[in-house]
Amino acid sequence: MKKVIITVIGPDRPGIIAGVSGILLKHECNIENITQTTLQSEFAGICLVGMPSGLTMNELQKSMDNELAEQSLQINIKHLDDANDNKDKPVTEPFIVSTCGPDRQGIVAVISKVIAGSGVNISNLKAVFEGGDNPDRNIMIFEIDVPVHLDFQNFSDELRQKASEIGLDLNIQHKNIFDAVNRI
Amino acid sequence: MFNDREFISTLDMLKYEHLDVRAVTLGINLADCSSHDLSVFKSNIRKKMTTLARNLVTVCNRVGDKYGIEVVNKRMSISPIAVVAAPFSAVQMIDIAKTLDEIADEVNVDFIGGFSALVEKGIANGDRALIEAIPEALASTRRLCSSVNVASTRAGINMDAVLRMAEAIKKAAELTKDSDGLACAKLCVFCNIPEDVPFMAGAYLGTGEADAVINVGVSGPGVVKRAIDRALEGNARPDLGQIAEIIKRTACKVTRVGELIGREVAENLGIPFGVVDLSLAPTPTVGDSVGEIFQSLGLLSIGVPGSTAALAMLNDAVKKGGAFASSYVGGLSGAFIPVSEDLNIEEATRKGYLNIEKLEALTSVCSVGLDMVAIPGHTSVDTLAGIIADEMAVGMINSKTTATRLIPVPGKKEGDRAHFGGLLGHASIIAVKNVDGVNNFIRHGGRIPAPIHSLKN
Repeated sequence: MKKVIITVIGPDRPGIIAGVSGILLKHECNIENITQTTLQSEFAGICLVGMPSGLTMNELQKSMDNELAEQSLQINIKHLDDANDNKDKPVTEPFIVSTCGPDRQGIVAVISKVIAGSGVNISNLKAVFEGGDNPDRNIMIFEIDVPVHLDFQNFSDELRQKASEIGLDLNIQHKNIFDAVNRI
Repeated sequence: MFNDREFISTLDMLKYEHLDVRAVTLGINLADCSSHDLSVFKSNIRKKMTTLARNLVTVCNRVGDKYGIEVVNKRMSISPIAVVAAPFSAVQMIDIAKTLDEIADEVNVDFIGGFSALVEKGIANGDRALIEAIPEALASTRRLCSSVNVASTRAGINMDAVLRMAEAIKKAAELTKDSDGLACAKLCVFCNIPEDVPFMAGAYLGTGEADAVINVGVSGPGVVKRAIDRALEGNARPDLGQIAEIIKRTACKVTRVGELIGREVAENLGIPFGVVDLSLAPTPTVGDSVGEIFQSLGLLSIGVPGSTAALAMLNDAVKKGGAFASSYVGGLSGAFIPVSEDLNIEEATRKGYLNIEKLEALTSVCSVGLDMVAIPGHTSVDTLAGIIADEMAVGMINSKTTATRLIPVPGKKEGDRAHFGGLLGHASIIAVKNVDGVNNFIRHGGRIPAPIHSLKN
């Protein structure tokens, strides 16, 4: 079986997953992994699919576009390159970077630039507004994978420095502490 | 993946609610350093302690940075000096105390605990020399702490030792009269002393322990207070069973943080992990107070009627949370009520809500005892010994640890203020009955027999 990645983006409504998975079943495709999220009213889904050898990506794309046309979904299918597998990835440790402060432009850009500049990958990112009546309690949470060979002290100092320049309080902590506190 | 609430509450605990690792304490067994020659003994302990503790502070800081949680104090506890230095005289014991202080300085730890003796059943030569040396040893060092166990549920109360300790406390206070008797803040008298306490001034390494061990003390009164406040904020009206459950769960989380840090420090140092001691230990900072918890629970102040019941519930819930979080919970694990170290408790004594008799009652249900209590400088040895004996009796009969850390502040009387500085805080001097009188009961001497329930075998 060939492996493809299918991404689906569009206005959230009942039946998106049912529609996509129904078409895949009709073409004898197998969903190997899938994840979805919604942001306000927008849906985004991504799935890893095994395709039978007789089926082409074009045929699958056409079938999706035709049958889901009414749902205004953008569907993209791409070939999964096996070379992307973990061969050359460095050994990493999971850390959580959290910033807290007033909402403003550039929070993600500034912080992610430092993260990227050190060769660190962001595996998850979310914004949480926890302010209640306090507008300064905007929290951004970056889950990152820090290579073990990285100079952690320099990296965390640089993150704090950049955050402080834009008025943010920044914490960086190994993910295990969240596990210890929240998971028995 | 964690949900938003889990993230935020964890961040808040670490950032705003004063959850910290109060102490990582490296226990070092000095039994193999013994010698009849003082210079050989001093050289042996210096070599062993500096070798084992060389990287303690660096590793604690590195692990603290990694998890975004401060390891506030790095300390050492050692085998009781009265045992490992038994051949030496009081003068030589003072020399050893100074050497230990130098070692603490050299490896940059905050305190060394273990200038200690275990005399609940009788006083041996080494014990006698050590107790005699305590006042001068504590007055002439900065980072050394001393503890003497004078009672236990299995042995009873050694009243001769109680009297000697009252004399030692008076003398230590007098030698440090310029700093309000500061030496006494580094001296604890115990009943049922645990062998693995990471907290000062009572830390020492028990004789049944390995060559070296890492014990961790976690604190977090602010975290517990906020958890109670949050539960009471909404429309829900939790009853005391539900509030106890909240305290228990919070204590569980805090303990797990301590064990995580302790195990990682231990692994990095190549030393076995011992125990995590979850104790609600206050500092003189708003929001880091045990006393404030009483007000969150609905009491006017710690000390008013209802306080003993509230503390019993708090202490028990903390222990249960700790026991659920880790199989290796030890030390004292409960709630501390050190008067001068807690702004709120100190205020309660100043306003008259809390007197020494109520403090004693509270110690029957909390994890330690009459802790950092400033009493009039003219308190007689007899009366001081009486206070100690009463506190020891509470521990002996209830099969629990109790202790006293009393400071008879030289030249000051009831209502005056004493200042100890830093984490030791300040205190109003509390009234004591029969303050400068004699006490013929104490002067009978001997040993109060162990209670009937000591006959367990």
